[in-house]
Amino acid sequence: METGRFSPRRLLALALLLATATFALAACGSDDDDAGSATAAGGSTAAADGAAGGDPIKIGSLFSVTGPPAVVGDKMRKGLQLAVDELNAAGGVEGRPLEVVFYDPAGDTNKAVDQTRRLIGRDDVDVVVGGGSQSGIALAMQPLLQRADKLFMATEGAREIVQPADERATTFKSTFNDTVVLQRTADFWRARGVRGVGFLPDTSGFGESAKAELEGLAPDAGIAVESESFDPTATNLTPQLTNLRRASPQAYLAWTTTPAATTFLKNAQQLGLGRSLLQLGFGSADPAFFAQAGAAARGALLSAGKLPIYDRLPDSDPQKATIARFVEAYEARYDEPANVFAAQAYDGVQLVAQAIRAAGGDLSGRTLASALEGLGSYQGVNGDFRYTAEDHSGLGVDAVAVSEWDGRRFVPARDGLTE
Amino acid sequence: MTDFLQLTFSGLTTGAAYALVALGFAIVFRGTRAINFAQGEYVMLAGVTAGALHQWAHPPLAVVVLAVVLMGALCGVATEVVCVRFTRRPDPNTITLATIGLGVAIKAVVLLATDRQAYTLPGFSGDATLHVGGAVLEAQALWNCALVAVAAGALAAFLRWAPLGVALRASADDGEMAAASGFSRNGAAAWSFALAGALAAAAGAGLAAVSPVNYDFGTLLGLKGFAAAMLGGLGSMPGAVAGGFAIGLTEAWFAGYVSSTYADVVAFGVLLIVLFTRPTGLFAAVRVERV
Repeated sequence: METGRFSPRRLLALALLLATATFALAACGSDDDDAGSATAAGGSTAAADGAAGGDPIKIGSLFSVTGPPAVVGDKMRKGLQLAVDELNAAGGVEGRPLEVVFYDPAGDTNKAVDQTRRLIGRDDVDVVVGGGSQSGIALAMQPLLQRADKLFMATEGAREIVQPADERATTFKSTFNDTVVLQRTADFWRARGVRGVGFLPDTSGFGESAKAELEGLAPDAGIAVESESFDPTATNLTPQLTNLRRASPQAYLAWTTTPAATTFLKNAQQLGLGRSLLQLGFGSADPAFFAQAGAAARGALLSAGKLPIYDRLPDSDPQKATIARFVEAYEARYDEPANVFAAQAYDGVQLVAQAIRAAGGDLSGRTLASALEGLGSYQGVNGDFRYTAEDHSGLGVDAVAVSEWDGRRFVPARDGLTE
Repeated sequence: MTDFLQLTFSGLTTGAAYALVALGFAIVFRGTRAINFAQGEYVMLAGVTAGALHQWAHPPLAVVVLAVVLMGALCGVATEVVCVRFTRRPDPNTITLATIGLGVAIKAVVLLATDRQAYTLPGFSGDATLHVGGAVLEAQALWNCALVAVAAGALAAFLRWAPLGVALRASADDGEMAAASGFSRNGAAAWSFALAGALAAAAGAGLAAVSPVNYDFGTLLGLKGFAAAMLGGLGSMPGAVAGGFAIGLTEAWFAGYVSSTYADVVAFGVLLIVLFTRPTGLFAAVRVERV
């Protein structure tokens, strides 16, 4: 008959099951709080090396260097550290060195909220740069930091982080709104004589937001837009493209952050749509998406920041020198290519430093916010930041460029930089 | 008409993927009466491995495919060891639950190991496309359909005529009787998991040639393959194939003529209808439990 209920083998099986589940959970959100603080201490040692004396200014920072957004978070953290070290080497800000207090929420919003409370309470930081490398996390951190009157410079994308601006008084971000990217794209289409566009947003928040924006701005631009959505994990976009091609659009634009970008290029070429413009949004700025589509990607377009094509910009572009300086410093230090995410965090720190200087060292959230709004224009890596009381996102269409994949790298597209 | 043909081709391309996954569900069910929910993650793992291997060493494509098929079979055996052998009484429910945990673990490991990167393979016959009546079909879709036909035929023949296949069925039907005749239940489970793993690996390689594969690719695919297997009748090879293509085609037509936003609901709508009206599926005979 049956042996006891808790025979050793049964226990072993149970333990294995539990172990599997625990391991999986841990992998999805590994907790490195202690490791995080330890490295934060590393950061502060670097700060003390600077020439500046006086009490350090504490910058709280949350980036997901593990967990699902890790690819983004890792670059952001490196960009932040580069900016902090450069500022400290130059004597700090207002005569005080910068010190970083860093935590890794690993893509977990609950954890990020706890860590934010710790930044405000125990660590008593002065400002916060970085919202966990994920828009949802930044949105959750925003009210806590505002209540504590801390300046919050988010390095995440969603418009809602800083809108409406009158309810987000002390929150700013150093990233593009999809609005300006789409506006620039529409300008480009007009210059190229495109009147009809087939739009493929994915069904994530990123795609949905762009869909609402584009369908809102297209009529004013005289462009007819048809939209067909797709699941972010889709492996075949032929049905969507088949529907869209009925209207014979001169351009197809896909809006996603997933490898569906590659599928879009391949499927469109297979259907023989290559005579129209095939274009992707700034969520697909990773060169790997284009490289993997092989020959199908040649001539495909990308609407994004200028970083991928900075060395091909005209010398008259004020952004060229700024990007070049950043890219050289970053690559010299980390021995890997810089990207837009590293630049977002780098710009965030520099902007905060500008604000602290303008406020004469006053670190309260409201004072720093009005200092940022009064900066006028600041040339960052990702563009010319012009914050106002109504716009806490700062970047305008002039920071966006349309570039073209030539088979190996991005180059400026014809009419891609038109004002 | 051209549009209809184009949508149909698109449906065949995705349908072949669902059919391959459904066949994996079928063979494990035939051998163990359990449902292997890690099947979709197997496909993902194989697709990622094949792509990474190709990117890293550029071996001939046939070598890549053979290597991942072998790896898939070994993964299947490993699954059997983890999910069946360590269980005192490997009843189907325990095995099913264990595979769910295993699936989550595979996904997490691939996420960490690949840094979320996506991988592709070149088409088995390059980027060739066929033009039929104004519509376009990529050659790789035909390869994948051929893969479905060969796999389904081979599995059906194996279960029907090969001594091992017969023993496998016997073991699932009545494990104690089969064991009394000298064929161990664990052996049956190991063989069916190995076959399912090899099948998933072939599917993963075929799919990586159609679209990029990353860590996130297997879950939805696995669930849709499950819906296909249920539609055809769990355990039936022809049923798995028919179910896979039926869901692929319905999805493509739905996306083309109704709404592309909600096309992914089709598979699960079908699954619910099957569960409510004909839980045994279209092809499987009602199983009579003799007491």
